[in-house]
Amino acid sequence: MSAEAVIQTRNLSKTYRDFWGRPKVRALNSLTLDVNRGEIFGLLGPNGSGKTTTLKLLLGLLFPTEGDVSVLGKPAHDVSKNERIGYLPEESYLYRFLNADETLDFYGKLFDMPSKVRRERRDKLIEMVGLQNARRRQLKEYSKGMTRRIGLAQALINDPELVLLDEPTSGLDPLGTRDMKDLILKLKEQGKTVVMSSHLLADVQDVCDRIAILYAGELKVVGNVADLLQSQDETQILSSQLSPEAVQEVEAVLARHGATVKRVSHPTSTLEDLFLRTVEESKARPGRRFGPGEGPAAKS
Amino acid sequence: MTTLQLPYDLLGGVLHWLAAVLVVCAVGLFVGMVVSLLTVGPRGPGLVVDVLQRGLHDMLHMSARRIGAIASLTMKESFRKKAFAVLVVFIILFLMAGFFLRNPERPDDLPAKPYIAFVLMTIRWLTLPVALLLACWGLPTDIKDRSLHTVVTKPVRRSEIMIGRFLGYGAVTTIFLLVMSLIGYVFINRSVPELSQPQLVSRVPVYGSLTYLDRNGEPGEGVNTGDIWTFRSYIEGLTKAAAIWKFDNLDVERLKQHDGLRLENRFEAFRTYKGVIGQPIMFRITLVNPTKKLRVTNGDLVKGVAEFSEERQRSAALEEDPAAESFGGLRTESTISIPRTITYIDVSGDRGGDQAKTVDLFDDLIDGNSLTVEVTCQDRDQYLGTAQSDLFIRLPDRGFASTYFKSIFTMWLMLMLICLLGTTASCFVKGPVATLLTFSLFMLGEHLRPQMDHLLKQFNENDRQVLGGGVLESVYRIVLQMNPSQELPDNPAMTIMQWIDRRVFDMLGIFRNVIPNFEYFNTAAYTANGFDVSWNTALLPAIATALAYLLPCVLLGYFSLQLRELEAK
Ligand SMILES: Nc1ncnc2c1ncn2[C@@H]1O[C@H](COP(=O)(O)OP(=O)(O)OP(=O)(O)O)[C@@H](O)[C@H]1O
Ligand SMILES: [Mg+2]
Repeated sequence: MSAEAVIQTRNLSKTYRDFWGRPKVRALNSLTLDVNRGEIFGLLGPNGSGKTTTLKLLLGLLFPTEGDVSVLGKPAHDVSKNERIGYLPEESYLYRFLNADETLDFYGKLFDMPSKVRRERRDKLIEMVGLQNARRRQLKEYSKGMTRRIGLAQALINDPELVLLDEPTSGLDPLGTRDMKDLILKLKEQGKTVVMSSHLLADVQDVCDRIAILYAGELKVVGNVADLLQSQDETQILSSQLSPEAVQEVEAVLARHGATVKRVSHPTSTLEDLFLRTVEESKARPGRRFGPGEGPAAKS
Repeated sequence: MTTLQLPYDLLGGVLHWLAAVLVVCAVGLFVGMVVSLLTVGPRGPGLVVDVLQRGLHDMLHMSARRIGAIASLTMKESFRKKAFAVLVVFIILFLMAGFFLRNPERPDDLPAKPYIAFVLMTIRWLTLPVALLLACWGLPTDIKDRSLHTVVTKPVRRSEIMIGRFLGYGAVTTIFLLVMSLIGYVFINRSVPELSQPQLVSRVPVYGSLTYLDRNGEPGEGVNTGDIWTFRSYIEGLTKAAAIWKFDNLDVERLKQHDGLRLENRFEAFRTYKGVIGQPIMFRITLVNPTKKLRVTNGDLVKGVAEFSEERQRSAALEEDPAAESFGGLRTESTISIPRTITYIDVSGDRGGDQAKTVDLFDDLIDGNSLTVEVTCQDRDQYLGTAQSDLFIRLPDRGFASTYFKSIFTMWLMLMLICLLGTTASCFVKGPVATLLTFSLFMLGEHLRPQMDHLLKQFNENDRQVLGGGVLESVYRIVLQMNPSQELPDNPAMTIMQWIDRRVFDMLGIFRNVIPNFEYFNTAAYTANGFDVSWNTALLPAIATALAYLLPCVLLGYFSLQLRELEAK
């Protein structure tokens, strides 16, 4: 791999301290990690495992207790690196008294963009995140998902090289989740590097090239998703219109070859698939209702 | 002698400021080095240098657009969070003010002063909390809501955040102040009774220096008539005692554009006997040109003292008004018009008998560009109270708006300073603490500074001692019920105690230098009394004081934000 590390951490540790400087929580312990240019990197781990802490350390929002960070070749505390970074915080920490247009304009100004560029980018991003109808409403009236969307638009205002997304899909409806994943893949196509944190394995599995799994501040696993998920000693057979007799025959054949059949079942689509297709179908043919077994799901 | 009208020493102030800033920086650097050594070991000083370098870089690479963005965000925030409710309070106060101010029995008879004072005070005490609360709560709320997180992940310098916030609060406060001051101006003009309307002026005084001749005509001091307030010195009637004002650096060409000269006095009378009812104590004005040996006076330059302050104010303002004559039945005039050509009897009598002569005020009596005015008391055994500011040349008046808005301007400077201090404080402490801190600074600067000045003056002039001792010594004396003049026992404990007390005084001296002198920003008294707010004595010090805090505060705010993990809850 022609790997150029965009992010490098070396023995990065973070201990949260209280007002008096007494250690409270060791949130991150000796993390050594490289993220390469152009890849989608997933930070996984249960709640409280240190994902957000890691991202904040990368951004210089937190100061490391030990270890070093370099982002885009600069130390984390260097503000000039932020020119090329987009960050979507865990919850969208935005100004609730601004409307969508003003929000994007404000962040655009922080990048010192001239007003023409700001207007263009703003319109494009609002369209992209699907907030055209709410652009003049104050953010305090927004639903959670809408806030996430404007948060994302804000993160992309500077057309960043490196995008840090903290739980990008949280609070989004399945359609939004799908859009988000598509968007992340599109960012990758454009040659950008994406680091996202999540504890939703399905999300990560769909989009990430490489993942790291954190547990209680420690790095447990890091590697390629495909490699990590593939189990070499299992085979799945998928077929249609197989009669029970045929199944018995197949089992017999497998037994002859010394393999044991663990489970024979009909494949189910995930709930996510079902929901998605239902919504898609409903959009195409409004007013129709699907009963069990006849909807779009049954067709696959 | 009490000399009140001292022009502000700008150069001295700047040097003092430089010294203070250098000392503070040096101390800050030293403390930073020590702290860094203690916390991160030998790597520490290097980090400090690094932080300073980054600081310098950040200071030099600020973007006006980013600062503007943060400032306008701040303004939007204030207005959308309904900070303008204060204006409603303000207007309600004004609607009701009429009830309190008016004298129901004689509704037309109230001087302008209470109206002006009321308006200026109301504006001051309504805008002050607005500035204070806005500036002190903004950043901490921003940090608490973590909206600042998103901002600092953009290429924003922390100095831009600090300056943008300050400018934003400054702008909001400015808008409030503008609206309020306009309403206040209209209110004053409409509510001040007809009779007092002429008091709405801006008198422009030129002050002189004052010396005395004693009763034998020798240079000396005035008499103390037993008043505890030593502001005025008294001269005895019909003796050689005189008060002599010398007005220097007069702009003669400008004076010449107006025929004659106006003097205004605020003398007081001290009566040793009652005298004739309705007859004021009289004084005589003599214009002196020592070079040409001219001493000019005549009957027109003998005037009565306006013995009550209200009467004084009224007669000063109503100079051209015939009502002044009838006021209280007294023939008192605060304003003395001196015509350009003066006829007088020359009593020096080189050529025998007295003879009437005329002189030209500007050509003959003004010596170079200074004018000497001698005042004597014309009533035997009565006394005339005089102070330096009691006699001044009254230049042509300016409109009331000029003094009113100058007062508003100094108030504006004060509010800007409050915004600045509040924003700075909120960079390192939370809202309530920042508010308390800023307000304490304000109270210290406005009310306690004079006390400190007094104590320190005593300390420095008195061989580094204060009567009754410093903190520890006075506690000691109180507990042992020793009076201040009693000698302390001579032992090492006492020596140590006094040593500590002196250090406390030294600290106080340093501390005092850091506290802004908020008294400079209160020029309401000038306006309320119908005086101009002069550049030299009032505007300049206010401007200098406000500016002096700009750079240190920005630096302090920047480094506090920079060195602080904004995550802290
Ligand atoms: N400001 C803070 N002060 C003290 N402890 C903190 C702070 N922020 C996070 N922590 C602690 O640090 C640990 C890691 O937190 P972090 O937010 O990084 O977890 P996370 O992996 O992002 O979890 P989640 O999936 O819930 O978002 C937790 O134990 C948390 O309690
Ligand atoms: Mg998190």
